[in-house]
Amino acid sequence: MQEEGGPAIKVEGLTRDFGGKKAVDGVSFEVGKSEVFGFLGPNGAGKTTTIKMLTTLLPPTSGSARLLGLDLKTEGRKIRERIGVVQQQDSFDQGLSAETSMEIYGLIWNVPRTERRRRIDELMKQFSMEEFRKKPTIDLSAGQRRRLQVAREFIHDMDLLFLDEPTVGLDPIARRGVLDFLKQKVKGGLTIFFTTHLLDEAEYLCDRIAIINQGRILEVDTPANLKRRFGSAKAVEFRVDARKPLELLSRIEGLDGVTKAAFDDGTAIFRASTARPEKVIPEIYRLADSESLEVSSIYVAEATLEDAFISLVRDGAGGEEGRRDGS
Amino acid sequence: MNVYVRLTYRNLRANLDPISLFFEFIFPIFFIFGQGPALSGSVAPIAIGGGKFISYALFLAAGAVTLTVINSGTNAGTQLWYDRKNGMFEQVLMGPFTRAEYLLSIVFATLLIGIVSSLLVFGLALPVLGGSLSMGLAGIALTGVSLFFGTLFFGGLALALSVALRSSETFQIVSQFAFFIFLFTSTIFFPSNNAPEAIKVISLLNPLTYATDVFRAGLFGSYTSFVSIEMAALAIEAVVMFSVAVVSFRRIRV
Repeated sequence: MQEEGGPAIKVEGLTRDFGGKKAVDGVSFEVGKSEVFGFLGPNGAGKTTTIKMLTTLLPPTSGSARLLGLDLKTEGRKIRERIGVVQQQDSFDQGLSAETSMEIYGLIWNVPRTERRRRIDELMKQFSMEEFRKKPTIDLSAGQRRRLQVAREFIHDMDLLFLDEPTVGLDPIARRGVLDFLKQKVKGGLTIFFTTHLLDEAEYLCDRIAIINQGRILEVDTPANLKRRFGSAKAVEFRVDARKPLELLSRIEGLDGVTKAAFDDGTAIFRASTARPEKVIPEIYRLADSESLEVSSIYVAEATLEDAFISLVRDGAGGEEGRRDGS
Repeated sequence: MNVYVRLTYRNLRANLDPISLFFEFIFPIFFIFGQGPALSGSVAPIAIGGGKFISYALFLAAGAVTLTVINSGTNAGTQLWYDRKNGMFEQVLMGPFTRAEYLLSIVFATLLIGIVSSLLVFGLALPVLGGSLSMGLAGIALTGVSLFFGTLFFGGLALALSVALRSSETFQIVSQFAFFIFLFTSTIFFPSNNAPEAIKVISLLNPLTYATDVFRAGLFGSYTSFVSIEMAALAIEAVVMFSVAVVSFRRIRV
């Protein structure tokens, strides 16, 4: 059971150097109980290093953290008894079948035999693994092995689960199945620390998201707030039958409030990026009238989490406050 | 269930290939029933200390049992190597286990394989060794000590190699080469008395020579003061090699 009160994870100034280079640079954040906390960032941002530190695999160079009320530096074993980890990399016992692999994993976690058997049967069904239950893990496809790796972690009890890109290699149906299973577990009280490059997946699952780049947290907020605050690249998309679309495009670019304009030859759709679509739409109609063109369709494309992510990471849109302290 | 029992059981189930184990077992059998009897007629009886002489078939049969320590030792490296390759090293260490528990579980699995395979090979060699055995309690202790420290030394060496060498091919070829040198310069196949001076010197530093000589002394009751020196040297070398393995292991970067 988790400690009463207090967050599931509390991190303060966590840093990890590798030969003078800071892979993680003074990150601070909190994760509440039964929360799904997304940790997003480009390749090499420091996500996996953070997970390795929080799972006690790698000692931090400086900073502190408490997980489930336990100190990261002095109570590593107690922490490990109460967490689960699905690594980014494959992890499997190559000499064993899928079923035996789960059996042995349950055994090393000291799950009683009858309980192991019950959970294996349940997880085999839940993760649709019956068809390859007896197959050696070495012969499984990447997706099957990934499903096994996620399922295997649920053979033992835990209060906090670290998932480092758990759905890599899964088809959309299997992916949705895994995400729904995780949601169900969160309802039962599990806390999840989650990294992914699939932003739709993060939006579907996470209560809050931290965006990390070059070892530093840029922002922490809910997916909706991140989109609202940083997904400024809303766009007005419309179709007109212009004889000279490139000339029209340059006039659209000149409209007040338009930050960028594009034309898709294939669909004949113009796209005007703007933070103020309510102002730009009348301007587009006025422009069309002046050119004697008819707007056959027009709509506002909402900002996505991907827009917010790109805006934060590539354009550095995060505020100073966010950089200093992500909590 | 005890943490060491759980982890050792896992090592035995997950990382050891039954076919490889079978051939490691077959290897000494070939020497006991093939090469030994075949060459026995053309090799003169061999002095093993304490004024005792034994036939080449007996000499090689005893050596073949100690051959299991080198095979078992290799398994220690293989277990760690597969766990690192397959991501299970990190996975286990993120569970409720310490590095020391993990490492000791590999050592226990290795010793278990060493003891069981030595007993099996010894059992099969009994018809050859037959009435020549002269084992009291001291003899049993000597054979046990030689197999224990021999397995510990080669287990430590294989662990250190598996930490240093990340590619499968390199690990296999380097460990095979190293173990071939140990075999070639040991007293498993022939005594080193008549060997060239360089090989004789290497042989006198070789832990496999000590393990084999101590084992033979235990089997045939040919205990001498030199054997006690060899036993001490074997113990020291095994402890040093195991310490090297522990230091290398602690430095594994995850």
